[in-house]
Amino acid sequence: MNFGSNIIMALQRYGHLFLKGTLITLAFSAVAVTGGVIFGGILALMRLSEFHITIKGKKIKPLSIISTAYVEVIRGTPILLQLYVFYFFIPSALSFLNLSKFASISLALIFNSAAYVAEIFRSGIDAVDHGQMEAARCLGLSRNQALMKIVLPQAIKNILPALCNEFVAMIKETSLASTFFAGDIMTTYKTVNGALFLVIEPLIIIAVIYFALTFTLSKVVAVFERRMKTSD
Amino acid sequence: MTNGDILIKVEGLHKKFTINGHEELHVLKGIDQEIRKGEVVTIIGPSGGGKSTFLRCLNLLEEPDEGKIFFEGVDITDKKVNINEHRQKMGMVFQHFNIFSNLKVGENITMAPVLLKKKTKEEAEKLCDELLERVGLLDKKNEYPSRLSGGQRQRLAIVRALAMEPDVMLFDEPTSALDPEMVGEVLQVIKDLVNTGMTCLIVTHEMGFAKEVSHRVLFIDDGIIAEEGTPQQIFNDPKNPRTKEFLSKVLY
Repeated sequence: MNFGSNIIMALQRYGHLFLKGTLITLAFSAVAVTGGVIFGGILALMRLSEFHITIKGKKIKPLSIISTAYVEVIRGTPILLQLYVFYFFIPSALSFLNLSKFASISLALIFNSAAYVAEIFRSGIDAVDHGQMEAARCLGLSRNQALMKIVLPQAIKNILPALCNEFVAMIKETSLASTFFAGDIMTTYKTVNGALFLVIEPLIIIAVIYFALTFTLSKVVAVFERRMKTSD
Repeated sequence: MTNGDILIKVEGLHKKFTINGHEELHVLKGIDQEIRKGEVVTIIGPSGGGKSTFLRCLNLLEEPDEGKIFFEGVDITDKKVNINEHRQKMGMVFQHFNIFSNLKVGENITMAPVLLKKKTKEEAEKLCDELLERVGLLDKKNEYPSRLSGGQRQRLAIVRALAMEPDVMLFDEPTSALDPEMVGEVLQVIKDLVNTGMTCLIVTHEMGFAKEVSHRVLFIDDGIIAEEGTPQQIFNDPKNPRTKEFLSKVLY
């Protein structure tokens, strides 16, 4: 057994596959977080919405309830299960959409990420001192004006670092897409493993790649966070 | 003393809070009051008695459960009334300042008048400079408020409210969160404001200050106005035993 030479051999023969896998992993994560930010933003707005109906003297906020329920269900079920649903159930139920493999997996990741992003938005906004909103309302600003001018600009400082962490987490979670041979870096491992009958060596290669991606990103986030603190 | 028109009229004000979804706390138990233009009214009383809640009901920061509040003749508890318009004319100063930390000192003052189209950018800037000059903060105009002391923040909060040119100023324990050495500078700003004839409602624990500036003192305890009168009556000759007891415990 010669680890070093096996790793070099695997890289020489299948380097292009590792590169392609890395790019697809990054693409999945980027699509998931971007879509998650849009959809999660809508969920967070629904959660914060004051829209209500009164039933038997009790205030009920339907938008807020739907949003909360969604977040709880997504966070309370495994991402692998959600991938299965989107990979098998959605394309057959909505066959007219002609979803590609990449699209249905991306959708699963977006719907998953949105729940976490919605929570990041909500807690970021909640963390802003309530007195800020009150002071703005006392000057005569509407709730929306106060949100846009005062609360959200302050919430961004809490939200951005957490969003970057969500991106880091998503990079790791896309590995589950390899269940469906989605072409990500974990899929590359499976391919190389099958072709060379090597287990440990390709695992070490992808571990290094995953770690390099997430470590670099979290360092970037840390620098970013420090910058934002100094602007206070 | 002033004999101006009635600015704020409160009728049968009740406010309950629900704790943990069911338990009810009856904070205001029927308050009737009239505040006239130019009047300075201080509100004193024990903690938890409803002073702050009363003040916060006046601009609907707390929604009353019962009763009416007329501001300049308009019933602002009416659901059809756009409360934002009326709040523009009621300045409020908080115990914890609530200075907008994402805006510079100057922007704290100009933001609302410009956004709500009460003033052009130039007019607002001009007024901002005047107001900052008045409270000795002009040199801080382009700094972020995190650099200000508590006393400076509260002075800024006062002129931020004044920039909307309100008809009444509501002060909710404006000096309670300040270090002792900063209380004086804030009280001085309020005194100067009182001297301009501004109608002021001040919830305070500074009895000496209340005695000095107010035309009328309200003693609120257990959700009602237990006693009201001139500062001389309240501080030198209280009638209600609860007022006597409260004042005997307070050092001033």
